[in-house]
Amino acid sequence: MTPPLYIALRFLTNRKRSLILSLSGVVFGVAIFICTQAQTQGFAQHFIDSTIGSNGALVVRTRFRERYENLSATAKTSTNAAHRLYFEGIHDANEIMRVSRQFSNVACCSPVLRGTVSARAGFENATVDLFGINPVLHVQTTDLRTELVKGDFDDFRNNTSTVIIGSKLAELLDVSAGDAIQLLSPRGEYWRFTVAAIARSGIGAIDSTRVYCHSRIAQSLLHRPYSASMIIYKLRDPNRAPALASHFEALFHHVAQSWQEREESNLQIFFTLRISAAITVSLIILLAGFGIFNVLTMSVLAKVKEIAILRSMGYRRFDISAIFLWQGAMIAAAGSVIGCIFGALMTWGVSQIPIRIRGLLYADHFLVVWDWRHYIWATLLAIVAVFIASYVPAQRAAQLPPVATLRGSSV
Amino acid sequence: MSFRCHQIERYLGEEESRIHVLRGVSLDLQPGSVHAVVGPSGCGKSTLLYVLGLLDQPDAGWIEIESERMSQLPDNELARRRNELIGFIFQFHFLMEDFSAQENVTIPMRRLGRLSEAEMRDRAAFLLEAVDLGDKLNRPSRHLSGGEQQRVAIARALANDPRVILADEPTGNLDTDNSQRAFELLHNLVRRGDKALLLVTHNRFIADACDWVHEMKDGRIIISHPHGERISVS
Repeated sequence: MTPPLYIALRFLTNRKRSLILSLSGVVFGVAIFICTQAQTQGFAQHFIDSTIGSNGALVVRTRFRERYENLSATAKTSTNAAHRLYFEGIHDANEIMRVSRQFSNVACCSPVLRGTVSARAGFENATVDLFGINPVLHVQTTDLRTELVKGDFDDFRNNTSTVIIGSKLAELLDVSAGDAIQLLSPRGEYWRFTVAAIARSGIGAIDSTRVYCHSRIAQSLLHRPYSASMIIYKLRDPNRAPALASHFEALFHHVAQSWQEREESNLQIFFTLRISAAITVSLIILLAGFGIFNVLTMSVLAKVKEIAILRSMGYRRFDISAIFLWQGAMIAAAGSVIGCIFGALMTWGVSQIPIRIRGLLYADHFLVVWDWRHYIWATLLAIVAVFIASYVPAQRAAQLPPVATLRGSSV
Repeated sequence: MSFRCHQIERYLGEEESRIHVLRGVSLDLQPGSVHAVVGPSGCGKSTLLYVLGLLDQPDAGWIEIESERMSQLPDNELARRRNELIGFIFQFHFLMEDFSAQENVTIPMRRLGRLSEAEMRDRAAFLLEAVDLGDKLNRPSRHLSGGEQQRVAIARALANDPRVILADEPTGNLDTDNSQRAFELLHNLVRRGDKALLLVTHNRFIADACDWVHEMKDGRIIISHPHGERISVS
């Protein structure tokens, strides 16, 4: 143990009240940082998992062809969209899927024929988002099977006259598994279906509009010449979806959209909330640092005599400075460890708090995410704040002239 | 080992309040010799001690330890020399209050870094035994009497086996019996260890027991005389 570390340890343990005050500031800051990050990211992660689980990490849609124009016309336009001609539907879905599966990041994919129709059950009506799916491929690509809250997926798979509907839509139409609903085709014919199951994705916009039926039935109902209007993908690494989307666009000449692009506005909200929480909690840690600054400054003033004694015994300015920096380091280390434990307990405690969320998300309790990076960031933040708080008093201690203290009143 | 200073000048204060505290002080401390500096308050005794102890820099003149000029050394080197070669004793003992007697004595040894933890504790115990405090090793220094605290300070000054001990009124805060006892202890340890001792004192009896007495006035040594004799006037 170095002499400054030994003396710092003794100084620190002899001032228990100051130690507890400094330590509690760091513990509180670190714990709150971890807990708020876990919460804000918890809701964001739940949203991301739900949206990827229901809509895929990547979607390939409408085919396009580059518009060839003369140079003067080209110069006036600024966006890519203006250079393209779009063609509805995907006519070669199987070929696109076959090629897509060669990419290592693609886990599976599923064609979907999408359209908007009216639904009727009893006296209730609603406009619904119809997803014509291949049941086998779709459950491999999405979390549809695990999202079911009522009914049986096999009933849906084995019977083409059945549908799966969103949980909020089921409430709106007042239907349950086994009940009948009618879908209105563009020709004005009502098609009768039995509700095989009810699904809850956790995202309000999906649960209140989504109806799944078999793709061939959807093609007939919607009167489409093609069997797929989009292909949704499950990726092994969803974070790499944007790169794959741009690659697919260039390769297939179909619009490809990653989940990050699709959910950009919602993700921005979560990101803003997270940054806002991080700034607030960082201020708490800085306040804790300010408290430590005060404690150490008071300590320097209280230890003027001891500093002079140490200097007279051959301790260098650096040693004196190190004594106070070590005190800060020990507070930061102990505060971070206790703060991380306390933060984990707080996070667990918060995750047990019941809360009824029905809207953008569906949740019955606070959602948290357990991420080791939160603990690293909180610790780094605490170390930086405490170092800054310790540095000034440490430098001040090192610069104290020992003679002025030792001299007292004599000349 | 020779410890000399030559024509030391020192000013204190700024501008109008600037005082010429030391006006050409020269001293030569030989091993095994005990020197007393006496004089009225404000004559520059303590300032001389701090300059000789390398805690303060002279404005002119030089200090030489074993033929090495100290005035040219950087702050860290001066700190190292202070740690290795010089032991300080102050009037108010200046112990670390929260530390035990033994811990106080180990502080200079920790900086020197030549002994293990066990060896430092053994040496501290040995030194405290020498000053009759062997039974109070682990007692916090604030719980010791004034005389005991001063004896801990003496043991601490001897911790790194320094060649020179500088004492600023080491008995100034003690009663007559404790003063006599502390001085005799210090005197014997210095004699046995072949060290040089320079002490500032107002106590005439203690000054008379020293090998050399230097009388200071207005920043100058006006008389230096050996034990019981007056030999020079500067």
